[in-house]
Amino acid sequence: MSAHDVLRAATPHAEPRAGATLGATCAVLAKDLRLLWRRRASWLAAATFATLSVLTYAFAFDLVTDDVRPLLPGVLWVTFLFAGVVALGRAFADETEQGTLDALLVAPVPRTTLYAGKLVAYFCALLAIDVAMLALATVLFNVGLLTPQLLLLTALGAAGYVSLTLLLGTLGSRVHAREVLLPVLALPLLMPLLIGGVRATGAALDLPHGDAPWLWLLVVFTFWSAAASALLFPLAVER
Amino acid sequence: MNAARALLGAAHAARWTALPPLTGVAMLALIVGAVIVAPREAVEGEVQRLFYIHVPAAIAMYIAYGITFVASLVVLWRRDLRADAVARAATSVGVLFTALVLATGAIWGQPIWGVWWAWDARLTSTLVLLLLFGGYLLARSLADEHDEQAARFAAIFAVVAFLDIPIINMSVRWWRTLHPQPIVLRMPGDQALPDAMLAVLAVGVVAVVLLALWLVALRADTEQLAQRAAALRAAVDRREDA
Repeated sequence: MSAHDVLRAATPHAEPRAGATLGATCAVLAKDLRLLWRRRASWLAAATFATLSVLTYAFAFDLVTDDVRPLLPGVLWVTFLFAGVVALGRAFADETEQGTLDALLVAPVPRTTLYAGKLVAYFCALLAIDVAMLALATVLFNVGLLTPQLLLLTALGAAGYVSLTLLLGTLGSRVHAREVLLPVLALPLLMPLLIGGVRATGAALDLPHGDAPWLWLLVVFTFWSAAASALLFPLAVER
Repeated sequence: MNAARALLGAAHAARWTALPPLTGVAMLALIVGAVIVAPREAVEGEVQRLFYIHVPAAIAMYIAYGITFVASLVVLWRRDLRADAVARAATSVGVLFTALVLATGAIWGQPIWGVWWAWDARLTSTLVLLLLFGGYLLARSLADEHDEQAARFAAIFAVVAFLDIPIINMSVRWWRTLHPQPIVLRMPGDQALPDAMLAVLAVGVVAVVLLALWLVALRADTEQLAQRAAALRAAVDRREDA
């Protein structure tokens, strides 16, 4: 089904044209959004995990009595990071196991399009979870978090996060214990994203945050991870 | 071009003839220099002698990860599994020296700073480095050794990790700007070193880098032999089946 769409969107004979590339990206995007919808149980699991994480922090650090704002950026970004690991853990697993990925790879389109489509789909899904968490924290801690500034930071963070983690998600199915390995490999790489995100969120909440350009750190990291992943993805899926 | 290739070939051949004795002599010189020749540091005392291992180990660590990076690019570019053996060897040596840097730093920090660990920018980014390439080794140990796809994936991870190092260093340094710097946080290198200390440090750098290179060569040759043995075994199996 899904490989079919991609094949139809691309022209089989000619060199891949810009229109065909865009069409293939959209076909992959549509396929991944459909897959995400069918696998909504695993996304519900990630969202539930994120909710539990916020609650766990609330109990552990007694976020109810004191002024919670100094702790909020850390709580939110650690929640984003861990929820993302749960959500993206199987990004390529089903397709690898069922052979869909092999079918997609024979499509006469640049392989970066396969990556771009998946990237947009997972970005939307992770952003939905993150925004839901912001809304939940707004209600629970009585701090206005759904500001344009914070939404922009969250979107930037989600983009950087998804682009790098998706590349690592191509980890072949021949590697045992893949689910454990993904966070072990991804989290050290994502350290700048965490630091930049927490500090930039602190700045948005008028907390002391140091004088480094945190937003730029986030922007540079996001662009770097997107560029590196787009360049390396074709090599990662090569057979 | 040919001269460069000949030089490279000679250097490659020398890894069994020249490298081990040179390493041995240099390590002996380092031990004698660090324990006897170098003067006792006036403020820090004997524990300062760790400096002659600590700094060279840090340099060797970066050289090892540099080898991992270059070998990983060769894996991606030429699809050469022999380069993968080199990458794996260099990473394990790099992780070893990273652990050594952190351990000697902690042993030095306890009497000098009064703590084993300080959340200093340099310490923290070295710890992240250990976690990054420790994760690489963990991934390799969980995958089939002679799996080309696993090798390619590991090479991609190594390239991304190596390119991430400057960003991590920068972000950790900025992260620390929020906190006051420990007052005693001054590497001995900030002071003008007496000539004797500088000479011993130079010997230390040569000795430890040679040791690292030798270890990488040993590991890489072992891995490449294992690859050849596996290929031979597969060929024998094929012939028996036929």
